[in-house]
Amino acid sequence: MSQQSPLGKPVNRVDGRLKVTGAAGYASDHHPDRLAHGYLVLSTVGRGSIRSMDTAAAQRSAGVLAVYTPLNPLKLFNQGGGLFGPNWVPLQDTEVRHHGQIVGLVVAETFEQARDAAALVRVAYDARTPVASFEDNIPNAAVPEPFFFGPAIQDYLADGVASIDDALAAAEVTVSGSYRQPIKLHNPMEPHSTVAVWRDGHVTVYSGTQAPVGHVQDIARCVGVDQARVRVVSPYVGGGFGNKAMTWGHTLLTVAAARALDRPVSTVLTREQMFTVTGHRSAVAQTVALGATRDGVLIAVKHDAYSSASTSGAMFPWGPHTTTLPLYRSENIHIGQRAVTLDIPTSTIMRAPNEEPGAFAIESAMDELAARLRMDPVELRMKNGTTVVPGNGHPWSSKHLDECYRVGARRFGWSRRNPVPGKVTSPDREWLIGMGMATAIYPAARFPSQVKIRLQADGTAGVSTAGADLGTGLWTVLAQLGADALGIPMDRIRPDIGDSALPNNTGAVSSASTAGAASALRLAAESVKRALIQLAVENPRSPFHGMNPQDVRYADGALTAAARRVSFGDLLEATGSAAVEATEGVGFGGDRQGFEFASFGAHFCEVRVNRWTGETRVSRFTTVVDAGKIINPKTARSQIIGGVIFGIGQALSEGIQVEPATGRFANANFAEYLVPVNADVPPMDVQFVQHPDTAFNSEGVRGIGELGTVGAAAAIANAVYNATGRRIRDLPITPDKLL
Amino acid sequence: MRAHDFTIARTVGEALSRSGDGSAYLAGGTTLVDLMKLDVMTPQRVVDINRLPMRGVHRDRRGLHIGALERMSDIAGYPLVKAGYPVIAEALLASASGQLRNMASIGGNLLQRSRCGYFRDTATPCNKREPGTGCSALNGENRMHAILGTSNSCVSTHPSDLAVALVALDAAVQLRDRSGVRTVRLADFYRLPGTTPHLEHDLRPGELVTGVMVPRLDWARRSTYLKIRDRTSYEFALTSAAVAVNLSGRTIRDVRLAVGGVGTRPWRLPAVEDALRNRPLRQDVVEAAAARAVADARPLAHNRFKVSLVQRTIVRAVMSLKG
Ligand SMILES: Cc1cc2nc3c(=O)[nH]c(=O)nc-3n(C[C@H](O)[C@H](O)[C@H](O)COP(=O)(O)OP(=O)(O)OC[C@H]3O[C@@H](n4cnc5c(N)ncnc54)[C@H](O)[C@@H]3O)c2cc1C
Ligand code: SF4
Repeated sequence: MSQQSPLGKPVNRVDGRLKVTGAAGYASDHHPDRLAHGYLVLSTVGRGSIRSMDTAAAQRSAGVLAVYTPLNPLKLFNQGGGLFGPNWVPLQDTEVRHHGQIVGLVVAETFEQARDAAALVRVAYDARTPVASFEDNIPNAAVPEPFFFGPAIQDYLADGVASIDDALAAAEVTVSGSYRQPIKLHNPMEPHSTVAVWRDGHVTVYSGTQAPVGHVQDIARCVGVDQARVRVVSPYVGGGFGNKAMTWGHTLLTVAAARALDRPVSTVLTREQMFTVTGHRSAVAQTVALGATRDGVLIAVKHDAYSSASTSGAMFPWGPHTTTLPLYRSENIHIGQRAVTLDIPTSTIMRAPNEEPGAFAIESAMDELAARLRMDPVELRMKNGTTVVPGNGHPWSSKHLDECYRVGARRFGWSRRNPVPGKVTSPDREWLIGMGMATAIYPAARFPSQVKIRLQADGTAGVSTAGADLGTGLWTVLAQLGADALGIPMDRIRPDIGDSALPNNTGAVSSASTAGAASALRLAAESVKRALIQLAVENPRSPFHGMNPQDVRYADGALTAAARRVSFGDLLEATGSAAVEATEGVGFGGDRQGFEFASFGAHFCEVRVNRWTGETRVSRFTTVVDAGKIINPKTARSQIIGGVIFGIGQALSEGIQVEPATGRFANANFAEYLVPVNADVPPMDVQFVQHPDTAFNSEGVRGIGELGTVGAAAAIANAVYNATGRRIRDLPITPDKLL
Repeated sequence: MRAHDFTIARTVGEALSRSGDGSAYLAGGTTLVDLMKLDVMTPQRVVDINRLPMRGVHRDRRGLHIGALERMSDIAGYPLVKAGYPVIAEALLASASGQLRNMASIGGNLLQRSRCGYFRDTATPCNKREPGTGCSALNGENRMHAILGTSNSCVSTHPSDLAVALVALDAAVQLRDRSGVRTVRLADFYRLPGTTPHLEHDLRPGELVTGVMVPRLDWARRSTYLKIRDRTSYEFALTSAAVAVNLSGRTIRDVRLAVGGVGTRPWRLPAVEDALRNRPLRQDVVEAAAARAVADARPLAHNRFKVSLVQRTIVRAVMSLKG
C-alpha cells in the first residue's frame, strides 16, 4: 500500500506543541551551572569619544564579576564584517559613532545585579554634533560601489534615446512622485540573547540565529578562536526578519567574557537595547517618474532611491530601485541607488530589504498613472507585464502573475470598486471606503545547503541540516519532505536543525530555505536509498544478500525484490547496523540556466478612513501568490499573513523618529514604536496559484517568507487614495496626514 | 532598579504609618514598577496596598463611589457604570491593553506618570524628572505633546483616559493621611506645570487615594468617550473627548465636555459647554462651539495638527450622541 504523502497538505507544525507549552528551549532558556549574566551599557551621545568612565560603583555593586569597557576591553578582532553584519566590533576604541552604541558590558551573578550595576556606570564624553538628519543630508548622498545587484545606477535606453529624461519628455502622459519612509525595526518577539559555555578550549554558543554556520564564522573570526572550536546551537528562533542573520556585538562580548571569566555567561538584550544594537531597515526616500502612451503602454520608467547608512560601516544599503527593473516592460528604464551615511546605528537586511520600500514607490506610482489615464490599475499592470527581464533578456522560469491578478480581483470583488475617489462611504457616512491593489515580487534564491538523511534501525529517519526555523516552518517542511521522499509517515521522520554541527546550510535568508533544503533532501534520499540497497546486497545477514542491486527496489520505507519485502528498520536490525546515512547538497541558483526566477503576487485591500479624524483602518485584504509548489499551505499562509501585517505596520504606524540634533532614536521602545496589534489586522484571504517551478528545482518550490510584505503598503496607500482622493507619499499614514 | 524596602500593609493605618517622603504605594504596579526599572522613580520604600479594603463600586443618592483599588477592567464591566456612565466604561476600555487593565487600579490610573519619552529616559534633561535640567521636548520630538496648559518648563500631556471622563463628570478623589480625610475635585487636584512640572497634583507625601466619587448625573446615560490614536488599540490618545449631553428633543439642555491628549492635565472645556447649552444639536453649531476649545492653544513644532484634530474629535463625539 502506497504511503500517503503529506506534501502539499496543511499539516500542523511539528514543533507547535513544544512552542505553545513552553517546552521549546530558546537560547536564553539554557542555564548551565555557574551561569553569570551580562548587561550592556549603551552610549548616551550620538558622536564623540569617551574621555573617562567611572565604573567604581558598578564594580563594588553586589554580585558584580567584571565591568568591561573600551578602557578595560575584552580583545576582539575587527576583520571586516560578514556579509550582512556590522564591520564594527565593540569596546576596541573610545570612539562613539552613534547613540545607543555598546560602551560596556557588566557581568554579575544575576541578571538583576548586572542591570542595576550597569545603571551605576558613569561615562564622560567629549561629545560632538552627530550628522543625523536623513532629509538634510540627501544632497550629500554618494553612489555606492557595485554590490549584489550590479552597478548602483543602471540605464536601459531604446536606440536613439539619449537619456531617460528625454524618454520621459517624449511620453504622452507622465506622472512623478517622491516617496518617503522612516527607519523601521525588525522587533522579533524573542530578544537577541547569547549563552556561551567554554569547555576545554571549545565554546558552545546558544544564540537565536538565522544562520548557525555564519554565526560560527563570525564568532571565530572576531573572538579569535579556531572555527572548529566553536559550535552554535539554535534549534528555535523566536523571529528574526533579517536581524538574526548576522552576529552583533553582544554575542562577541558574551563569548569573550565567558572565556575571560572561565564561566558560562548569558546576555539577553532588553527590548529597548534592540533598537540600536541589532540593526534596522534604512530610511528611504525615492522618486519615481513614469511615462506612458495615452492607452497605457509604459515607455519610460525612472526610479531613484536614497537609503540611510551608518558610519559604523556594515553593509551596502540595499537597493529599493532594483524592484522596478524586473516588474514592468518598458523601452526605457533608469534605476539608481544612493547612500546617505549618518551617525546612526547600523542598518541591515530586513524582510524584503529592496522590495519592501521599492514596491511602495513603484506601486504607488503605477496607481497614480492609472488614475491619470483613467485606467483600471489591474489592467494597467497586465498591459505592461514582462516576459523577460530587461538587461539580460532572460525569460522567467515560471510566471503566473496575471492569474494572481484575475483570481485576486474575483475573490476580492474588485469590480465593485468605484474608480472615482471619495465616493463610497459607510451607511452612517462617517467612514470613507476605498479599494487599492499592488503587485508583489521577490526574487527566488537558492543558497548552498546540505541535508543528511539517516535511516535508523528503529524505523525512523533523521533528516538534518544546519538551517534555521524562525517561525518560518522548516521543522515541519523537512518532516513533510522527508516523509514524501522516503515514503514513510511523518511521525517517523526526526528533523534536526539549528546546530552548526549539522550539515552545512547558509541559513534562513532571502526566503531560500525551503528551495535549498528540498533540493538537497531529494538528492540525499536517492543516495541513502542506494546506500541501503548496497548494504542489503552486501551484508551476509541480509535477506537480499548476493542479489544484483538493480533487482532491489526501495519503496515506502522498504526494500523489495523477488516477492520479498523488508522494511529498512528490519533490514538494519537484521544486519546489525545502527543506521545508513547519506549527505547531499546543492549550490547557488536554480537548476536550469538562462532563466530568471522570482515569486509573484497580487494584493487587494479595502480601507476605511474616518471622514472627520483621519484614522485609516484596513478592513479586508486578499493576497494571491504565485510561488511555485506549496509544500505546506498552512505554514505558507502564515508567512503571507505575517508579511501583509508587516505591510500594515509599514503603511500605517511604524517608524523611528531620529532626533536630528542628537541622533537619538526618540521612540526606541514598544510603547512608542507602534507595531500593528490584533485590532489593526482585518480578515485575511490568502490564495496560492500553484504552478511547480521545476526549472528552479526538482520540487518546484520558490520562497514565500518575504514576498507577502512586498507591495502591501502600496495597496493600502492606493486604497487610501481611492477612499479620500488624498495621495500620501510619506509613510506612515497617520491621522494627521489625512485631516 | 535601586535597592528599596518593601512592606505589605494590612490596614490603612499601617499603610499611612509606613509612608511619607521617599515612599511609594504599590497598587497594580504598571506605572510604578515600570518607572523603577527605568530608574525614573526611585522610592526608598515601597508599600504594597493591595490588601487594603479600598474596593467596591456602589451608588447612593450622591452618586457613584468607586474604591481606589478597583481594577480598570472590573470597573468597565459593572452594569452600574456601563449603563449609568458609559463615558467611564468606554474611557477604560480604550485604555492600555486587557492585561494591563486587569492589573491596574483606578487610584494608580489617576496618578500615572507622564508618557513623555524624555521623562522616561534618564540620559536626557527633563524638568519633571529632575527639576531645573530643562525640557527636552520643547524643541525635540513633541508630536504627542500638549497644546493646552503648557509652559516653557514642560509640555507633557496628562496620559490618563479615565481622568478625562472623570473631569467631565465633575468627579472628586477621596484622600486620607494621618491627619484625616479630605475630598478634592479632580479638576482641582491636578496642577498646571508652570515652573514646577515635577509637582503634578495635590497629594501630600504619604497620603492615600481611597476612592473616587462621581456625582449623580442621570443624563450621563447619554455619554461617550472618543479616542483618536495612531493604531486601533493599545495606544495613548492623539486627542480624545469625553462628552455627556442632556437632550430635550434636538436641543442640548446641558452638556459636559473634557478633552485628552492635548492638555497638561485633563482639560475641561466650559467655554465650549456654554456655546452648546440650549442650542440645537447640529453639525454647524457644534463645529462653531468646538473652535473655542483651542482659543489658547500653543502648538509645538510637531503637534500643530492637534489644533484641528481636537476640534474634529469634539464634533464627532458630540454628534455621535444625537441618536
Ligand atoms: C504599555 C502601557 C500602555 C498604557 N496605555 C494607557 C492608556 O491608553 N490609557 C491610560 O489611561 N493609561 C494607560 N496606561 C497607564 C495605566 O493605565 C496605568 O499604568 C495604571 O492605571 C496605573 O495603575 P496601577 O494600579 O498599576 O498603579 P501603580 O503603578 O501601582 O501606581 C501608580 C502611581 O500611583 C501611586 N498610587 C497607586 N495607588 C495609590 C493610592 N491608592 N493612593 C496613593 N498613591 C497611589 C503609586 O505610588 C505610583 O506612584 C498604560 C500603561 C502601560 C504600561
Ligand atoms: S515635556 Fe515635561 S516630561 Fe517631557 S521633557 Fe519636558 S519637562 Fe520632561
